[in-house]
Amino acid sequence: MRKLSNLFMALSVLSFAVPAFAQGGEAAGGGVNWVAITAGFSMAIASAVCGLAQAKATAAAAEGLARNPAARPGIQLALILGLALIESLALYTLVIIFAKVK
Amino acid sequence: MAEQLWFTQILNRALGGPVNSMLQALHVHVQHPETPISNAAAMQLLVVLLLLLLFLIVRSRLSVDKPGALQHIFEGAHNFIQGQSDEIIGHHSEAYTPFLVALAFFILICNLMGVIPGFMSPTAEPIVPLGCAIVAFFYYQAQGFKHAGISYLKHFAGPMPLLAPLMIPIEIISHLARVLSLTIRLFANMFAGDMVTLVFFSLVPLGIPIIFLGLHIGVSFLQAYIFVLLTTVYLAGAVAEEH
Repeated sequence: MRKLSNLFMALSVLSFAVPAFAQGGEAAGGGVNWVAITAGFSMAIASAVCGLAQAKATAAAAEGLARNPAARPGIQLALILGLALIESLALYTLVIIFAKVK
Repeated sequence: MAEQLWFTQILNRALGGPVNSMLQALHVHVQHPETPISNAAAMQLLVVLLLLLLFLIVRSRLSVDKPGALQHIFEGAHNFIQGQSDEIIGHHSEAYTPFLVALAFFILICNLMGVIPGFMSPTAEPIVPLGCAIVAFFYYQAQGFKHAGISYLKHFAGPMPLLAPLMIPIEIISHLARVLSLTIRLFANMFAGDMVTLVFFSLVPLGIPIIFLGLHIGVSFLQAYIFVLLTTVYLAGAVAEEH
């Protein structure tokens, strides 16, 4: 009985939030620029993950170079190629931002 | 009327009429009839003329006994790209070196144009890297067909004939994605370099933008190198021989 009354009290407190639904239709006009906010977050996520991936690539290249300095040309080639390809993934996000954000 | 650089103004005044008539004959709609030659097109023309002049000067001063400084620079560039394509493609890579060197010089000089005041990088307009990527794409496809004939198409079928219906759409899409990625990589790097320099210029007009301009110059060299490196890798994939 006590648990049921607690449940009903919690549900009735939730009903205080109902007036928030009334605002929904009006704020669509001169409201928040969601595209710009999303653009900021998505660029941050893309850059962060790109940074992690490039760090992993650089770490592997440095370790390979330390183990076998004679393989420098090949390792350097693989490193530069890998870094450029990873970088371009973050750049795709930037291009979408410039295409979509007013 | 689009905003013009001084070189674009000269070109439009001299060649505006003939270019307009030529575009009309090809049924191309001109957006700004007073300036049919856009800034990017004018800058590309300038780069081509500059490179032609440079190559002609080097060619006229070639000497076995007493090579000058210019010859050293061009020999260095040629050997660099030759060595790299040798490493990636393997045998018979000398045939592809002229195209790769031309591509490298063109993209490099295009990228560096933007640093000089009064000029702009044509590669900062998306259409120019698209042009370079399409040229590179048709070049390596043509080399693939020239090397292997019609059986070049077997490259698209994958390792086993059973997988061909699955592999062919995937391979076609991945080849087209190469064009897209080459374009966007070059365009976004150049455009972002310009943007970042402008943003910092609007914040701190003295001193700080120099750092980003320096970064932009470094990125110009790197991106030209990456473009040629990736074209070499695609060429290697196209003319590869099955052992």
